[in-house]
Order: sequence, then structure tokens, then C-alpha cells
Amino acid sequence: MKIIYTLFLFLFVAFFANGQERFLTKTGTISFFSKSPMENIEAENSQVLSIVDADSGQMAIAILMQSFLFEKALMQEHFNENYVESEIYPKATFKGNIIDFDKISATETPVKIFGVITIHGESQKITIEAIAKKTQVAILMTGDFYINLADFAVDIPSIVRNKIAQKIKVSFRFNHKPYK
Amino acid sequence: MTAKKIIFGILLLFFFGAIIGYKIYNKPHVNVAQEKAAISSTASVLLEAFSADETAANLKYLGKIIQVKGVISKIEIVNKKGSISLETEALFGSVLCTLTPEESLSIKELKIGQEILLKGICTGFLMDVVLVKCIIKN
Repeated sequence: MKIIYTLFLFLFVAFFANGQERFLTKTGTISFFSKSPMENIEAENSQVLSIVDADSGQMAIAILMQSFLFEKALMQEHFNENYVESEIYPKATFKGNIIDFDKISATETPVKIFGVITIHGESQKITIEAIAKKTQVAILMTGDFYINLADFAVDIPSIVRNKIAQKIKVSFRFNHKPYK
Repeated sequence: MTAKKIIFGILLLFFFGAIIGYKIYNKPHVNVAQEKAAISSTASVLLEAFSADETAANLKYLGKIIQVKGVISKIEIVNKKGSISLETEALFGSVLCTLTPEESLSIKELKIGQEILLKGICTGFLMDVVLVKCIIKN
């Protein structure tokens, strides 16, 4: 057990030792917006972990579902308990590749990110269009995309179906800093 | 006469129903400042619990109001919301506490290295243990 732990620690150190190549944020923002004739629902999570490997252009994101804060307590409760079941699936993740990562400059560059997004235990392939900006000290990525609730087995009861959009707009903003 | 009474009764029922419905719909958020903490702990103990067994720690801490003591290792302001990282004995990982917008106003008075007592709702574990809606206790 101890060996495994030590090994793990070494790997972890190795992973971050050449750290200048890795950019990270622990306070990335993801918000979503559901627009329907009955009411608009909005929630924001400002504790998103996102890591970009500046060598390979790989990107990994982890999101805690309970960190999404809603305007109304009741919406937040329904979201956590009934829709995303955050006690069973506390996290959503994304793993992907930033296409043409080398071409990102210090000015705003449009990029595509291919990857797999996992919400509510269901994984889907996705292509996200983003705007990226890269300097020595920061990689900023912003953008938005739509997800389909049915793709992630999120079941909306018929009584509230006209209050919740089937397609949810997700916006993100990650200001990655070099990992030291 | 009885018909009138019945109609009046039904109207009264609707009226109260509407009030109750409205109250439930506008139910206030948990007020971290007023609620008692379910668990008091230190940053190191909290991180150790999550890195040892995340599933068990989730059961114990997720969604609960936690009071946590620790030493400030990082202060950050993103979107007007302040975040405080608390040092732990572990090599990696800390306890990341995001303050409420009101509490964020007093973040300027804090210094790195200072010991602090915070209260907030635990939402889980990424690289750090994450708390939302934190208030500063001292």
C-alpha cells in the first residue's frame, strides 16, 4: 500500500514538475441558461477546475454539480435532487483536445475543441467552439455551446416540462495560469 | 346560503393554496450565517478525509454546512467573488472556499499566512475540497 502511495506521489510530482507547460484554473466559471416561455432559469458555478497542457493542447475540466448556484433555492434543490442527482453523480467532466493549439496567439483566436463530456453518468462526444488567447502567463478560453438534456438521461417530469428548455445554453470562461 | 358558504370555502382554499405555492416557489436559500454548522473541522482533516476515501467523504460532508479552520495560502477575486485557499499538511490540495458576494467585500482585510475560521457549504472534491457561500467567522 505504502509503495503504491509513494509511486502515486512520484507520478503526481512528475506530472506537475515540468509544470511550466501546464496551465490551470481552479476558479473557472461555467453558467447555464434555460429559456422557456414560462420562465428563464440561470445558474452559475465559479469553482470549475480546468487544466490545459500547453505541449499537447489537451484539456481536462472537472465540475462539481452542487457548486451551481441558482437564483431560487427551489430550483437549485430540484436540479440537485431530481435532475442531475448530484449525490450519485457529484461531478461532470470534460476531456478533449484543442485543435490547432499551436496557432493560438496573444490575440483572440477562434478554436475548436473535440472531446467527451460526462454529465449525470452519461458520456457524449462533443465539439465546442471557443475563443482562445495565449500568452506566456495565461491561457484564456471563453465560449458557449448547447447541450441536449435527453442525451444525458436527465428526466424532466411532464408537469414542469414547459418551464425547462430541452436545449440548455452553457457558457464558460477559464483564465488558466501557469501551474507552479 | 349553503352554496355561498361552499363557494366561499373553495375560494379560501384557493387563496391559501396560492400563498403556500408562492411561498414554496420563493423559498429562501440556506442562510449559512444563521444556520449552525453540522461539522467543525480543520483544512487538513477535511482534505485527508477526501483524499483517503472520496465516496465516504462525500456521504459525510456533501451539501452540509462545515466550519473549517486553516491558514490562508491564497486569496483571489473572480467576478467580484472572493476565494480563499486554506493550507493543508498534504503536498497537493487545499480547501477552496468561495465567499458570498457580501462577505467578499471584507476580503481586503485578509492576509496570506493568517489563521481564519470559515463557514460554508461543502460541494465536493476536485483537486481541492470545495466550499461555497462561505462567511468569515473571525
